[in-house]
Amino acid sequence: MPESTYGLIATFETPGDLYHAAELVRDAGYRRWDCISPFPIHGLDKAMGIGRSRVPRISLCGGITGFCTGMSMIWFMDKFDYPITVGGKPLFSPLFAFPVSYELTILFTAFATIGGMFVLNGLPMHYHPVLNYEHIRRGTDDQFFLVIEKTDPRFNAANTRALLEKAGGKQIVEIEN
Amino acid sequence: MTPPSTSKALGIGLAGIAVTAAGLLVSGAHVVATAWLVGIGFWTAIAIGMLMLILIHHIFDASWSVVLRRQFEHGVAAFPWLLLLFLPLIAVSFLGAKDTIWPWMNPAHQVNAVHTVRTDILYEKKSDFLNLPFFVIASLGFFALWIWISSRLRKASFSQDQDGDVKWTRMNGRTAGFGIPIVALTLTFAAIYWYKSLEYHWFSTMYGVWYFSDCMRGALSCGVLIQLWLYARGDLKGILKTDHLWAIGQLMLTFTVFWAYISFSQYFLIWNANVPEETFWYNIREYKDWWYVSLFLVFGNFLLPFLLLLSYRFKVTHRIIRRIAYFVLTVVFVDITYNILPALKDPTGHPLPFFSLNLLWAATSVIGIGGISIWAYLRDLPTTKLIPIRDPRIGECLNHDE
Repeated sequence: MPESTYGLIATFETPGDLYHAAELVRDAGYRRWDCISPFPIHGLDKAMGIGRSRVPRISLCGGITGFCTGMSMIWFMDKFDYPITVGGKPLFSPLFAFPVSYELTILFTAFATIGGMFVLNGLPMHYHPVLNYEHIRRGTDDQFFLVIEKTDPRFNAANTRALLEKAGGKQIVEIEN
Repeated sequence: MTPPSTSKALGIGLAGIAVTAAGLLVSGAHVVATAWLVGIGFWTAIAIGMLMLILIHHIFDASWSVVLRRQFEHGVAAFPWLLLLFLPLIAVSFLGAKDTIWPWMNPAHQVNAVHTVRTDILYEKKSDFLNLPFFVIASLGFFALWIWISSRLRKASFSQDQDGDVKWTRMNGRTAGFGIPIVALTLTFAAIYWYKSLEYHWFSTMYGVWYFSDCMRGALSCGVLIQLWLYARGDLKGILKTDHLWAIGQLMLTFTVFWAYISFSQYFLIWNANVPEETFWYNIREYKDWWYVSLFLVFGNFLLPFLLLLSYRFKVTHRIIRRIAYFVLTVVFVDITYNILPALKDPTGHPLPFFSLNLLWAATSVIGIGGISIWAYLRDLPTTKLIPIRDPRIGECLNHDE
């Protein structure tokens, strides 16, 4: 197999075929592989052995940062930077800082969620080797693909091809990097 | 499915009612009737929440909640019994000076050193709404509407079990269309009549929505407990998936935030405007040990459940979500207590303490009315299929995937 090979791609005709193939590949212990489907397939993440997303943890950090930013900003501005007594209220109270802190919690959570999603997904990604596959556009229309990367520790040109054949994959071809 | 034993729930309910009745001899009618209102408020909130969740399920034509909906359809069978248990509160409003619970029912009730209710301008302006005939008709009307809407929903859903006709689903969709505004308005006016008018000088436009948030939190927690109980019995094995629990847990989180949003907004607007007609309501709730109850509501009713329910693992692990549900029911009880019991004043006009016999009677009322409500649910449970097997969306529900 040439140095420039990215991996092996196999074609499946139905979501069910892809789902069961994914279970086989998962159980064979592969780590660096992916499924390509025109639409989301329920339960495919479990069939692929993918755990839950880590994005919520990043969201939580964003939320805490936003809350603390709002509270400390208003505390600094109202108590030190420009103290004015309004309506006989104390110079600082968490009560009137709360709506702003709450809004900033939401804003920073949204930023962290979108940013975290981009970073964990490796986005933006302008090039991906599977785009070299001549039939890849069928993967946005009516066919399903399973790609196993050559960099996977278990990858072996002959055995991996045999596994994909056993899984029911058609037209198993190498794709260029 | 083996029918559950209903006699235990009935026994506990009757025992709770008996102990509460014995409280009349110890603490008197004023205290015990007000504590009884806490019990009514708590369990009516749960029944209204269940009714609302069924209606919301239908208005969205939802699929994941079909199995859960059936349990709520059994839960709303408690409404006629709640009406029966509410009747004593109407009865005491006709006895004696009529102000056993609600002071505005007695024109001679002393409001302050100068005024009685009759000469109180703040009562006069509200007297078209706050008068005894209107109160009785409205309270009976609320229950009548809740019973009517829930019986429509139940009849359609249970009939579909027999014939599988999709027209029943359409009928429930229509019921949801007019039922949601009706239930929203009746629960708002019920909260105003039953709880807010205990201190009729006070006003807050958030009050109905506040009660709604407690309704939803109570009903969702009960939904979790019922589902886990049926799962543990083996009835929902293979039916209840973690994805269902995850969905209910998310709604619990939503309404935790919703409750905090409503409660904070109410406090914040009153604190900021600083008008004595409004602030007195919070001032008496910061008196002595009520201050700690207020703090408990901030941290126990919002912060702790909020942080716990953020976790996916906590939402889907039976042992953990069961404890969270019990805890949320406890804080909803404290929240309703916080809204009602400070109406009990000592001779100097200060609220009687939270930790007192009054709390005990509130707790026995909750046990008594709860026993009857749970009994009503349990005796209704074996009368139909465990899940709506012929609902058009039952397949989607059983295969629900996040």
